[in-house]
Amino acid sequence: MRRLIILAFLLGGMELIQPLGDTGRGAEWLLALGFLILAAYSVGEIAAGLGLPKIVGYLFAGVVFGPGGITVITPSATAALAPVSSLAIALIAYLAGAELRWGEVRERGPAILRIMSAELGITFVLIAAVMMPLLGRLNSFAQAGAVELLAFSLLFASVAIIHSPAVTMAVLSETRAAGRVARTTLGVVLLADVVVVLAFSGFLALARALVPPTGLDTGGVGLWGIIWELGGAVIVGAALGGLVALYLRFVKQELFFFAIMIALVGAALANLLHVETLLMLLVAGFVSENVSVPEDGAALRHAMERSADPVFVVFFALAGTQIIPREFGGMLVLIVPIVLVRMFGIWWGTRIGARWAGVPDDGPLVWQGLVAQAGVGLGLAVLVAEAYPARGGDLAALFVAVIAVNQFMGPVFFRRALEKSGEIPTGAEPGEPGDAADGATVPDLPGSYPDLPRHHSP
Amino acid sequence: MNETLILIPLVAASYLAAHVAFDWLARRYRIVSGAEYLLLGILLGPQVSGLLGGNVLEQFSPLISLGVGWTGALLGAQFVLPRLIRIPGEIYRIALVEAMLTLVVVSGAMVALLSWWLYLPVMDVLVPGFALGALATVTSEAGIAVASAGRPKADPMVRQFRVSAGLSAVIAMVALGLLSAIYHPDANVVPRGPTATEWVVINIAIGVIGGILFHLFVGEERKPDRLFIALVGGIVLVSGAAAYLRLSAMLSAAVFGAILANTSLRRGEIDASLARIERPLYFTLLVLAGAAWSPSPANWVLPTLIFLAVRGLSRVASARIAARANNAMGTLGPHWGRGLLGQGGFALVLVLSYVQLTNFPAPGIVFSAVVFSVLLTDLLSARFAESVFDTDRPITGKS
Repeated sequence: MRRLIILAFLLGGMELIQPLGDTGRGAEWLLALGFLILAAYSVGEIAAGLGLPKIVGYLFAGVVFGPGGITVITPSATAALAPVSSLAIALIAYLAGAELRWGEVRERGPAILRIMSAELGITFVLIAAVMMPLLGRLNSFAQAGAVELLAFSLLFASVAIIHSPAVTMAVLSETRAAGRVARTTLGVVLLADVVVVLAFSGFLALARALVPPTGLDTGGVGLWGIIWELGGAVIVGAALGGLVALYLRFVKQELFFFAIMIALVGAALANLLHVETLLMLLVAGFVSENVSVPEDGAALRHAMERSADPVFVVFFALAGTQIIPREFGGMLVLIVPIVLVRMFGIWWGTRIGARWAGVPDDGPLVWQGLVAQAGVGLGLAVLVAEAYPARGGDLAALFVAVIAVNQFMGPVFFRRALEKSGEIPTGAEPGEPGDAADGATVPDLPGSYPDLPRHHSP
Repeated sequence: MNETLILIPLVAASYLAAHVAFDWLARRYRIVSGAEYLLLGILLGPQVSGLLGGNVLEQFSPLISLGVGWTGALLGAQFVLPRLIRIPGEIYRIALVEAMLTLVVVSGAMVALLSWWLYLPVMDVLVPGFALGALATVTSEAGIAVASAGRPKADPMVRQFRVSAGLSAVIAMVALGLLSAIYHPDANVVPRGPTATEWVVINIAIGVIGGILFHLFVGEERKPDRLFIALVGGIVLVSGAAAYLRLSAMLSAAVFGAILANTSLRRGEIDASLARIERPLYFTLLVLAGAAWSPSPANWVLPTLIFLAVRGLSRVASARIAARANNAMGTLGPHWGRGLLGQGGFALVLVLSYVQLTNFPAPGIVFSAVVFSVLLTDLLSARFAESVFDTDRPITGKS
């Protein structure tokens, strides 16, 4: 309550200074960002008090204070802050890759592959099946023929099966869970991300063949384009990971700064070379972690993990600003069955996959970690909207609504699963004061450089 | 092949080479410097590769404001009253006299020079001249720390250097903050915009209100990661508010940091949180400073040389006068001002915020003068300080 009152004061102060300021230099969105961080922090604490994951609070803060609520964060501020989200995604992807160990991949890889295959396959079929009759309820599909409905149902399903590495990483970071359910869920989510991008590209190509697009053909890369996008991401990511390992071996300084640089340079490189950003950084993280000497890899990972909490706050708060609840009202009759069918498909598919993989006990818990959806799905939805402006807009709006619902529900389910499995450790908090794992020193005055001891006052 | 693809590894390799070279220099010759980041910025900027092309100050304005604010918060957090009052008044007097004399002498000289050099009336060059005077007082503590390693913290010379460096940082920050408030562009509000005094009050009030509210906001929060998030939000908010009003983000954030340091029961955690991203932001600012440097052809050379000379002479002379006026010649010696010659990244951060905020003549000259001062003196700051420590003077713990 105290924090909400202070937020109200801050809001009042921002309104007070508004006429005196100078827009156009970006300072107004720095101000908005500061407020959003404090608001998300406060609502996150409230969510934690209610037994919910903090990221649900961050999302809710974004909804309330964003364009969907009282518009403290304007649409232009949201757009201006997009690079912050991109940096966050890049960091999350790298960190996710660095969480995977080669030994673990070899040991659990086949099981994860089977769980993922069954879960994605069954969910895909169920969603496509339910979309066929539901699509006709959208205005732009009222006159659509069977072939068109089939094409778009398949396209929709190929996006709707996606999971969220960001939410998975955020919940794991918050709970510090690292047991079997946590690792299996992370493995399924990361692998599924690659498969879904492949599947989406394939089904977009099929849709284009069956229903020629009327808009920008941004999704229409040929087969070689898709191969380069994914294969190139692996190659470039591996190369980047190798360079990181070399840096850790021979320089190993300013790790926090270096971690930010990896994310920035990686994202820029992926854009330049037209490879899949998430996959590239995932591979980079995986390679650097598994090629480096264990202490070096751990030091970089530790430096990145220490930045994870604030990154998640900003990322999910900004994600929340993209959700505009009043636009979903008319689509509830579509959203609810899609969400429920998707959940059922995940549950059923995971159970079958777990039995197939010989780990039947994992099924009832792992499926809960697969409910969440976020950023990548929105990106794919935008591609559909660009390829099919008339119908794509309706589809994209439906995607966003479904993703928004799963974005809120997913962390709750995943946390519940981790609690049930007993994988959430109790005990000391990480990042105690004075922790200088990345070599940071604490200077007394500015102008001090690295490698110098902290000075204490006389 | 795409030029950018060639340039990225080239710049990365150049940076690594510079880093390794400076690291070797530091270990071999006790040279301390963050100049490789400045050089990286110059490599990336429009002067060389153009990877960071166009108007860097405009492009990265929010990031610069945040970095400047964070530096201010760090500075402010050092001023913990119980610690400060334990320092003898004489040390403060010496530091204050030295800094003010340097400020006056360098300001006067640079105003005169710029007026003559640029064919402008004195009133038009008062601001850049005064800014150079303020920036001239800034001292890097890095070299002092290297030179004084092994000496007791209570050594009078060490204490004097540290207090002088701290006080001059505050004087420079306040001076530039006052400039931005006094010469603030008019706000289009009715019935009238704030006066200069009111802008000064607003600049400080942002920090005061932010500090008090933040103190109440975090309450009894003990977890370092949660505290860090809240601190990020607070500093971003305070820096953003100051930058939005075209005021000194550093001054507001310094007041914010000082209030936190003096009212919070979690001072250690706050210090640790502030330090967590201090260096990455700091080095980013150095890179941006290098990229933002775009000297106009030729007309910065003479003012830069004169600035270096006047600053060097006035620091040594002012230090001597201050010591003599306070009967401290026996303790400090006549040449102790040499230890104050080094300038580091903090000066660059200050000059970045100056050129970001103001639209006065000769920003390129002010910027270039400070860049060269940092490049030259930063490398030798440890040597300067070492030359002052008299091996014949006994190392004592008493003043």
